[in-house]
Amino acid sequence: MTRGLVANFRELDATCDAIEDLKARKIEKFTVYTPTPRHEIEHALKPPISRVRQFTLIGGLCGAVFGYWISIWTSDYWALVVGGKAVASWIPYTIICFELMVLIGGLSTVYGMFILSRVPKITQTVGFDPRFTATDYGIFVEAPPERLKEVEALLRDHGALEVRNER
Amino acid sequence: MAVSAQPLRPNVASANVQLPGVEDYGQVDREISATLNPSKGWFAALGVAILLFLWGAGTWMYQIYWGLGNAGYNPPVMWGVYIITFVFWVGIGHAGTLISAILFLFRAGFRTTIYRCAEAMTVFAVMTAGLFPIIHIGRPWKFFWLIPYPNWRLIWPNFKSPLVWDVFAISTYLTISTTFLYVGLIPDIATLRDRCTNPVRKRFLAVLSLGWRNSEPEWRHFARMYLFLAAFSTPLVLSVHSVVSFDFAMAINPGWHTTIFPPYFVAGAIYSGIGMVFTIIIPIRKFFKLEHYVTINHLDAAAKLALFTSLVVGCAYLVEFWVAWYSGNAFEKDYFMNRVFGQWWWSAWIMLTCNMIFPLSLFSQRLRRNPTWLFILSILINIGMWYERFVIIVPTLAHEFEPWQWSGYLPSWVDTSILIGSFGWFFMWFLLFIRNLPVIAIAEVKEVVPPRLRSHARGTDIDSSGHHRDYGTETPGEFD
Repeated sequence: MTRGLVANFRELDATCDAIEDLKARKIEKFTVYTPTPRHEIEHALKPPISRVRQFTLIGGLCGAVFGYWISIWTSDYWALVVGGKAVASWIPYTIICFELMVLIGGLSTVYGMFILSRVPKITQTVGFDPRFTATDYGIFVEAPPERLKEVEALLRDHGALEVRNER
Repeated sequence: MAVSAQPLRPNVASANVQLPGVEDYGQVDREISATLNPSKGWFAALGVAILLFLWGAGTWMYQIYWGLGNAGYNPPVMWGVYIITFVFWVGIGHAGTLISAILFLFRAGFRTTIYRCAEAMTVFAVMTAGLFPIIHIGRPWKFFWLIPYPNWRLIWPNFKSPLVWDVFAISTYLTISTTFLYVGLIPDIATLRDRCTNPVRKRFLAVLSLGWRNSEPEWRHFARMYLFLAAFSTPLVLSVHSVVSFDFAMAINPGWHTTIFPPYFVAGAIYSGIGMVFTIIIPIRKFFKLEHYVTINHLDAAAKLALFTSLVVGCAYLVEFWVAWYSGNAFEKDYFMNRVFGQWWWSAWIMLTCNMIFPLSLFSQRLRRNPTWLFILSILINIGMWYERFVIIVPTLAHEFEPWQWSGYLPSWVDTSILIGSFGWFFMWFLLFIRNLPVIAIAEVKEVVPPRLRSHARGTDIDSSGHHRDYGTETPGEFD
C-alpha cells in the first residue's frame, strides 16, 4: 500500500528548495505537481529526456514506408497503363508518403505521450489534490513509516501550506 | 551627442507581449472559466447559427433529390461555389495551425492567448471544407470511392490524381488538427474538472481529461509531444494548401497551369485565416471582457502578420500578371485581360481591393491597435479571399482555349443557400465549443503569469507580494 505525504506549496521557489532538499536526503521517490510547466522545477529535478521522440521516429518511418508501399502496390495491382509513362511513379507518391508520415508519426507521438505519462488514469485520488490543477504546487512523497516525520518537517520547513498523510 | 528620437508609441516586440492585467493563477482560472457560463447573447447567436445551418442542410437535401442541375453550373463552368467554398474554408483553417504550431516553434509570445481560438477555428473550418467536395460530387453516398480500401471489384484509386492527394491531405490535416486541439485541451479540462461542482459534468470532464493530474512526468512528456506535433504540423499546413493548389496547377488551363500556385495558395490561406481569427477573437474578447488577456499588443502583432501575408499575396497577384505578359502565351494574356478588364472585372477588383488595398492601412500603428477597424478589415479580408477563389476558378473555366466554349456563371439560390448554411454550421460548432471548453489556454497563460515567489530578488519586475509590477502608463496601448 502506498504511504506518503502530500504537501501543497504556494510559492515556486519554496517547491524547488523542497525538491532539492529531498534529493539531498536521498529521498528519491516523490512526484511533483505544478499548475503549469516551469523550468525551475525541471532544473531542480533534472529528469531524463522524454522518450516520446522514439515513438515519433518509428511512427513517422512506418507511415512513410506504408505511403510508398500502398501507392506502388495498388499501381501494380490495378495498372493504369499510359504509353511512355511509368506505371508506378515515385514523385506523386511522395505526397502520399509525406501525408501518411505526418498522420502516423503524429498519432504515434500522442500515443507515446499517453504510454509514458500513464494516461488515461482510472483513479487519480492517491497522492493528488485538486488544487494542483489550479493554483498550488505540490509534492507527493512516498516514504517508509519511520521517515514520515522527518519528511513532514522538511516540507513544512520549506513553506508547505498544508501537509497531509496519504493512506 | 546623437540623440535617438523616441517614437510616441513604441512598438512592442511580438515575442515579448505580457499580461500585466493578470496577477495570479487563481485569476486566470476564474476569469477564463467564466466564459463557460451561457448568456442570452450566446443563445441568440447559437439560434441564428442553427437556423442558417438548417437552411443550408435543407437546401442540400433538395439538391440531392432534384440533382446538381439546380446548383447554377453552366457548362463548361462545372466547378463553382462548392469548390470555391471548399478552398475558402481549407484556407481559413490554415491560420489556426500557423498560430498554434509555427508560431509555437518560433516562440512568438503573442500566440498564447489566441491560439486556442485559432485551433478550434481550424478544426471546424476543415470539417466544413470537407463537406463541400462531398456536396459537389452530387452523389454524396459514393464519396468513399476515393479512399483506398479492399473491395469486391478489386479497384483502387489512382494515386497520380490530385483529387486523391486532396483526400489524403485534408483527412490527415483534420485528424492532426483535431488531435492537436484535444491534447492541448487535456490540462485545461483537468482544471475545469477540479473546479466543477456538478457531479454529472465533473464525471464527463474526468473522462475527457483522461485522469490528468499536472504531475511533472506528465508535463515533461506533454511538452515533448507538443513540440513534435508542432514540428509535424508545420510542414503539414504548408503541404495541405499546396496540394489543394495542385487541383488547379496540374491542369493545362490558362490561369491555372502555373508553378506559383503552391506558395501563392499557402500565403493566401494564412492571410484569410488571420482575417477569420480577428472576426472571432475581437467579439470574444469584448463580450467575455477578456481585453486584459487578448491585449492590444497581441492584436497589433497579429495585424503585422496579416499585413505581411497580404503583401505576399499582393506580390503573387502582380507576379501572375507579369508571368502572363512575359510568357508571350496568347491564351494566358487574353485570360488575364478578361479577368481584370473584361468579363470578370468586378470580381477581380473586389479581390484586389480587399486583399491588396485595404490591408495597407495596417502600416498605420493607430489602425493596427484599433479593434473596431481590425474587425471591419477582417470582414473585408474574408470577402476578398472568397472572391480570390472565385476569380481563380470561374474565369478560367468560362474562358478556355476555344471561343465557342466561352460562357458565364451565376450561382443559383441552391448553392448560395448551402454557402450561407456552411457559415451556420461553422459558427454552430464554434459557439458550442466556447460554451463547453476554455477559449483561452489556461495552462499556457499561467506560463506567462509570473509565479509567486518566497524570495523576490530574482527579478526587478516582481514586487514584494510576488506579483508582476504594473507596467505604468508609458507601456504602449495595453489598455487602450
